[in-house]
Amino acid sequence: MDSSVFFSLRLSLQVAIAATVLIVVIGVPIAYLLARKNFPGKELLDIILTLPLVLPPTVTGYYLILAFGRNGVVGRYLYNWFDWSIMFTWYAAVIASFVVALPLMIKTGRAALEGVDRNLVNAAYTLGHSEWETALKVTLPLAKRGLLAGIVLSFARALGEFGATLMLAGNIPGKTDTMPLAIYSLSASGEQEQAAGMVVLLTFVAALFLYLANRYSRRIF
Amino acid sequence: MGLSVSVKKAVKGFTLDVSWQIGNELAVLFGFSGSGKSLTLQLVAGLMKPDSGVIKANGTIYFDSERNISATPQQRSLGYVFQDLALFPHMTVKQNILFGAKGVPKRETAERYHEMIDAFYINDLEKKRPSEISGGQKQRVAFARALMRRPDVLLLDEPFSALDTPLRIEMRAFLKDLRKTFQVPVVLVTHDAGEAAALADSIIVYSEGSVIQSGPAGDVFNNPADERVGRLLSGQETALRTFCRQNYNESRTA
Amino acid sequence: MSSIACLLLLSLITTPGAMASELTVSAAISLKNAFEAIGKLYEAKHPDTKILFNFGASGDLVRQITGGAPVDVFASAAQKDMDDMSAKGLVLPGTRVAFAKNIVVLVAPRNSRIKSFDDLASAGIRRIAAGNPKTVPAGRYAAEVFDYYKLASAIRDKLIYAENVRQVLDYVARGEADAGVVYATDAAVRSAEVVVAAEAPESSHKPVVYPIAVVKGTKNEAAAKAFVDAVLSKEGTAVLKKYGFRIP
Repeated sequence: MDSSVFFSLRLSLQVAIAATVLIVVIGVPIAYLLARKNFPGKELLDIILTLPLVLPPTVTGYYLILAFGRNGVVGRYLYNWFDWSIMFTWYAAVIASFVVALPLMIKTGRAALEGVDRNLVNAAYTLGHSEWETALKVTLPLAKRGLLAGIVLSFARALGEFGATLMLAGNIPGKTDTMPLAIYSLSASGEQEQAAGMVVLLTFVAALFLYLANRYSRRIF
Repeated sequence: MGLSVSVKKAVKGFTLDVSWQIGNELAVLFGFSGSGKSLTLQLVAGLMKPDSGVIKANGTIYFDSERNISATPQQRSLGYVFQDLALFPHMTVKQNILFGAKGVPKRETAERYHEMIDAFYINDLEKKRPSEISGGQKQRVAFARALMRRPDVLLLDEPFSALDTPLRIEMRAFLKDLRKTFQVPVVLVTHDAGEAAALADSIIVYSEGSVIQSGPAGDVFNNPADERVGRLLSGQETALRTFCRQNYNESRTA
Repeated sequence: MSSIACLLLLSLITTPGAMASELTVSAAISLKNAFEAIGKLYEAKHPDTKILFNFGASGDLVRQITGGAPVDVFASAAQKDMDDMSAKGLVLPGTRVAFAKNIVVLVAPRNSRIKSFDDLASAGIRRIAAGNPKTVPAGRYAAEVFDYYKLASAIRDKLIYAENVRQVLDYVARGEADAGVVYATDAAVRSAEVVVAAEAPESSHKPVVYPIAVVKGTKNEAAAKAFVDAVLSKEGTAVLKKYGFRIP
């Protein structure tokens, strides 16, 4: 029942890293498709994927419950087949962070990939390289800066995610209370000093991460 | 050996409808900007698709709308040098050139690579990035890269247009040497009459999406088919003089 | 090598703490301190059950349960939310009980000169914090009290809505708001920083009754009922009184 500060910190990092990995694996290919391909419904897809950026997180959380709750569009199958619901588990926190931070990766990634000179891609094709090879060896490396910026933004957003997480994962001390949720609980029950302590810790962790990310990007560029 | 092109394509208020063929020679597609020369190259390379027509190189059919054949750019044995050279900025000179060796058996790749850097005098530049070498050096790297696979045809889209005059003249000599060494048909797109005069074995004159004259360079320059061609070759006197001087020089050194 | 593999496999399939069963209790955030204390008492008596609390705004909690969240016991800060649950068939029949009452009060920062609800209409009061009537029960009660004192139109432009009652308290404690409407139990938590300017008379709002019930579909009916009993027990009511709640 009692949650230690370090549990929340570890959970927050775990959730943010997992969400960011998912975001890169799923978001980069989507950004590539949006940047380089034309297909019917393309702009509609872009809008739907960007929505979580614009909606209040609690609303996004509500939609997530409609999707993943026991009676949800996806959730009902999980429940009927495996007798398991994602709600109130840390996986739900990962999903919530994934959904709200994905638009940041996609928008930034799309812009970076669109900025790659079309001639370079064509040159690679004329030199015999397939689209897939060209994407890996030419397009993606040339969009590195923008893609890294997208990753940093996504991770930061995932680390600070609150509203949608609260809805889908619940605020369960010792199980799903990430740092933002723990701070909310402490503050709400009048434990201001502990809350302030956690705020300082989270700020420090976030600042440390940004510092490391900047250093890394300077090194590889 | 050769390239035969017969294509139609309609784009944004402009229709391309051309038909020509060349053998083992340096052919120049000549005409004002916007007349469809670059578009033709892109169609030959497979970067764009004609509405209808046939494209054949060395007997291989790259495109045939009637028989529903359309090879991807990767499947066509072509070398292409873009107007801005399109060297990969994130790779070294060596990596750029080796990038052009896709499909070449490993044993041969190293051999060919050394052949190229010797032939094009790029030996000291291998580890440098494109941003660190000069315009002329970039040109040579771009050509080396395009030739690694020993393509059936070399397509050049105004590759020298960004160079200043002394370098342009140097590159013309370079191109001629290249033809001697690599014996590959070359299609050169240019709107510069002087360049056409200096390099062409045959000239194909473009205007507004059609070919209005084609033939051996000398014939075209001496007998422009009509007023339009004459106007296009309006650098004619200079071109003619350059042409004659080149021939005179060649015959002297031969 | 294979023994290591065996150990690894074993560690994956045996879940840690598989001995203890879990009970999930969703409760309005105003009940946090009291319920956490009651939870400790319960776990002392039932060592094989671990209680997982989920605190939030009553409205959000209902939405989670409707969406299929695995909750065993639900305690809200107003009858309305429990009525919603009942209407949706989510309450286990016979388990709904009113276990606590609260008083609605007007709070202000320590050095404030407000003495009554009527003072809210005066020009010196520029910002009044209250819960969002749509999601926060305390917000609905606040709205009823404002209507009772016929202040609704006078203060309409001064109202700041918060998503939970502790945030209202926080705004007032920090001086972000000149006054706020919270429960007596909340005011007690930050008695150093806020002062109770007035108590709302019982007739000015619907009674603030806290209902608790076992959620239908719980997989742990016995433990859930035992928890409700713990809340209603002598020790439970003592804890509630300690935190400022009244017992109906």
